[in-house]
Amino acid sequence: MSEMNEYLNELSASARQVMDGEGTAAPEQTLWPLTVELGWLLTAVPEALDGLGLGVQGACALQTELGRGLGQAPFLAASLAVDALVHSDLNADTKAEMLGRFTTGELATAPLADVSDLAISEDQSTLGGTLSAVPSVDNATELLLWVADRVLLISLDQPGVAWRARTTWDTTRRLFDVTLHDLPMAQQTLLAQGESARALIARLEVQRDLGLAADAIGAAGGLLDLTIEHLQTREQFGRPLALFQALKHRCADIKTLLAAAEALLADSLTLIGDDLSTPQAQLQAKKTKLIACDHFATLAEEALQLHGGIGMASEHNCHLFLKRAMLNEHLGSGDGDYRLDIAERFLAG
Amino acid sequence: MSNNDTEAFIDINESSELRREVRAWLQDNVPSGWREAMTGVDQEAFVQLQREWFGKLSQAGYATPHWPEGWPGGGRSLAEQKIIYEEVARADAPRLILYFVALYHAACTLMECGTPAQQEKYLPGILNGEIWCQGFSEPNAGSDLASLKTRAERRGDKYIINGQKTWSTMAQYADRCLLLCRTDNSGPPQAGLTYLLLNMKAPGVSVVPIHQITGDDEFAEIFFDDVEVSVDDLVGVEGNGWAVAQATLASERGLTLVELSQRMRYSLTMLADALKDAGKLDDTALRREFGEVISKVDACCALADQYLLKRISGDEQVGDASLVKLCYAQTLRAFTKLGRRISGLKGQFDPDFMRGATQETGHWTLDFMNSYNWSIAGGSNEIQRNIISERMLGMPREPKTWKLDGGRA
Repeated sequence: MSEMNEYLNELSASARQVMDGEGTAAPEQTLWPLTVELGWLLTAVPEALDGLGLGVQGACALQTELGRGLGQAPFLAASLAVDALVHSDLNADTKAEMLGRFTTGELATAPLADVSDLAISEDQSTLGGTLSAVPSVDNATELLLWVADRVLLISLDQPGVAWRARTTWDTTRRLFDVTLHDLPMAQQTLLAQGESARALIARLEVQRDLGLAADAIGAAGGLLDLTIEHLQTREQFGRPLALFQALKHRCADIKTLLAAAEALLADSLTLIGDDLSTPQAQLQAKKTKLIACDHFATLAEEALQLHGGIGMASEHNCHLFLKRAMLNEHLGSGDGDYRLDIAERFLAG
Repeated sequence: MSNNDTEAFIDINESSELRREVRAWLQDNVPSGWREAMTGVDQEAFVQLQREWFGKLSQAGYATPHWPEGWPGGGRSLAEQKIIYEEVARADAPRLILYFVALYHAACTLMECGTPAQQEKYLPGILNGEIWCQGFSEPNAGSDLASLKTRAERRGDKYIINGQKTWSTMAQYADRCLLLCRTDNSGPPQAGLTYLLLNMKAPGVSVVPIHQITGDDEFAEIFFDDVEVSVDDLVGVEGNGWAVAQATLASERGLTLVELSQRMRYSLTMLADALKDAGKLDDTALRREFGEVISKVDACCALADQYLLKRISGDEQVGDASLVKLCYAQTLRAFTKLGRRISGLKGQFDPDFMRGATQETGHWTLDFMNSYNWSIAGGSNEIQRNIISERMLGMPREPKTWKLDGGRA
C-alpha cells in the first residue's frame, strides 16, 4: 500500500514538473505527443500487458496534474479507450496489437458526456446516431462508444461517419459532435457484448467520473494558488489585498471546499480499488464527480471575483479555469442528473 | 502510543476483530429507545442516563481507549480508537456529553502536564465518574481567549480566584473545573495565564445555567467569589497556562469530528424519512438537494478520516484540523437546513425537546439551531478561517493595532 503511494507521489511530482515546463493551457500539438512519449497511457495498464499497473489511481494522479495545468491533451478520452481494450473480450494477439497502437501515438478517443441518441437498428445490422463532447476527433483514428449492451471501437475513417467541431467557451479542450449514419455492425470492432459489456460500461463510466473529478481538483488547486498569489501581490489602499480579512475568509472557504473534494477522491479511489464495475463503485464515483466539479465551479466563481478587473481580461489565465470548471460540471451525466441519481440510490436503500 | 498506531492501522477495515467485538457489545448494551426516553424529560433524567451509560462503557473499557496502557481500557492505538468511535456512531449510542471534558480534556492534560501526585489524586476519580467542566471562555474572552480576566492571586500556599467563566458545558453537574485564569497583567495577554484545577464544591463557586435558544441548558456560567485553590493544584508553572490549555484543546485528536461526521452520515436516513413524511418524495428539486447533501456529508467524513490518518502517520500540518472543523460546521448547517426546508410548516411546531441527541433529532428547526454549536464553539468558523488563510495559505496576519476613524481607539 505505502509502496503504491510512493509510486503515485513520484508519478504526480514528475507529471507536475512536465506540466510546469509546458506552461498553463499547453496546446494539444505539443502536449499530446509529450504525454504519449512519457508513456502516460501505459500508467493504468496492467503489468501483464506491459503497463505500469497503477490502475485508476495512477490515471487520476496524472489527470490531476493535467487539470492543474489546463492541459489540452485528450488524455481522459484516450485512457478510456485503452482501458476498454484492456478489459475487452478481444483475443490476446489482437488486444496486444491494438494496445500497442493506442498507447504509442495513435489516438482512440471517446465521448466525455452521456448526451447521445445512438441506437442499433431493429434487425441489429446497423448503428446510427450522434455523440457529443468527443475530444480531438480530428486527430483520432478510432472512436470508443457504448450503446445498449455493446462496447465498440469504430474507425473514424469509414463511410457514414461525420464530425463537427463545436467551439466551447472552454478553449482548453476541443470537443466534437460525431454523427454515425447506418454503419454496418458487422464491420465494427466489438470489444464486449451482453453481461461483459455491461460490466465494462460500468467500469468506463466510473473511470470517466473519477477522471473528471481529478481534473477538477487539479485545476482548482492551480487556480487557488494563482488567486492567493494575486492577492499577495496586488496592492490597494496602500496594502496587499491579502491583508483584508473579508478576502482571506473567502480564500479559507474555497480552500476547505478543495480539501473536502480531495479527501473524497482519495477515499473513493481506496474504496473502489480495482473493483470498478460494482454499483457501489458507480455511486461512489458519481458522488466524487459531483463534489469535485461543483466545488471547482464555486472556487472558480469566487476566484474570478477575487481577481477583480484583471480576472475579466483575457490576458490573465483566470478565465480559462472558470471556463474549464463550467464545462466540467456538465460533462459525464450532467450536474443535475448526478444529484438525482445519488438521491435515488439512497432512497432505494 | 504512536508505535502501535501504524501496525493497528492495517486492521482498520470492516472485518477487524475489534470492530466485530465493539459492534456486538454495542448491540447488546446501547439503551434501547433512549431517544424516546429522552424526549420531553427534565435534565435530571438526562444526567441519570449519562451516568448509567458511562458506567457501562467504562466497565467495558470503551470510555478510556485513549488512556495509556495500564489503565482500564487504555493502551488503544489511534486507529483502534477510530474504530470504537465509528461503531458508537453506527450504533446511534448516546454521546457521553457529561463526561467528555473529564475523559479527554482533564485526563489528557493531567497525563501530559500534571505531576505524579496530581495524576494519582484525580485520574482514578475520573474513572469513577467524577464530572469535570472547562473554565476557559469568559463574557469578554470568546474567540479572543487570551484576553481573559478571571484573577488568581497567590496568597501563601493558595490562589484566590475571582471572576466569571461562561459557556461551560454541564458545569451545573461538575465536580471539578479546568480553570484558565490570569496571574499577571504586565506582559502580552498569553503570557500571564495560569492553569489550575478547581473544586466546584468549594465555597464561593456558583453556577447559573444558560438558557439556550433551543430550550436546552447544557451550558452554564460559573462565578468565583474568593474561591481558594491550593498551589498543589497548579498545572505546569505559573504563567505557562496558555501552553497547558493548548494541550487540553488538542486532546481529542480529531476523533470527535470523525464520530460526529459519521453520526451525520448515519442520520441521512432521517432526511429520507422527512421526505417521505412530508409527502415530498416526488419533489425533484428537493431530491436534487438531497443528492448534494449526501455527497457533501460523504466528503466531510472523508476529510475527517483523512485528518485522523494524517495524525496517525505524523503527517498533520498546521491548519488541517481547522479544515475539518469548518467543513463539518458548514456541512452540518446544510444538512439541518435541508431538513428544515423539507419539514415545512410542520417543522415550525415546537415538539417536546429531545436531550442528548446533539443535532440529529429529526426535529429540524431544533437541529438547525443546534448546528450553531459547531460553527461557534471550539473556535468559531471565523477563527478557523483565520487559521486556514494565515497559516496554510500564507496570507498576512491581522494587524495587531487598529484605530477607528474619528478618534476612538
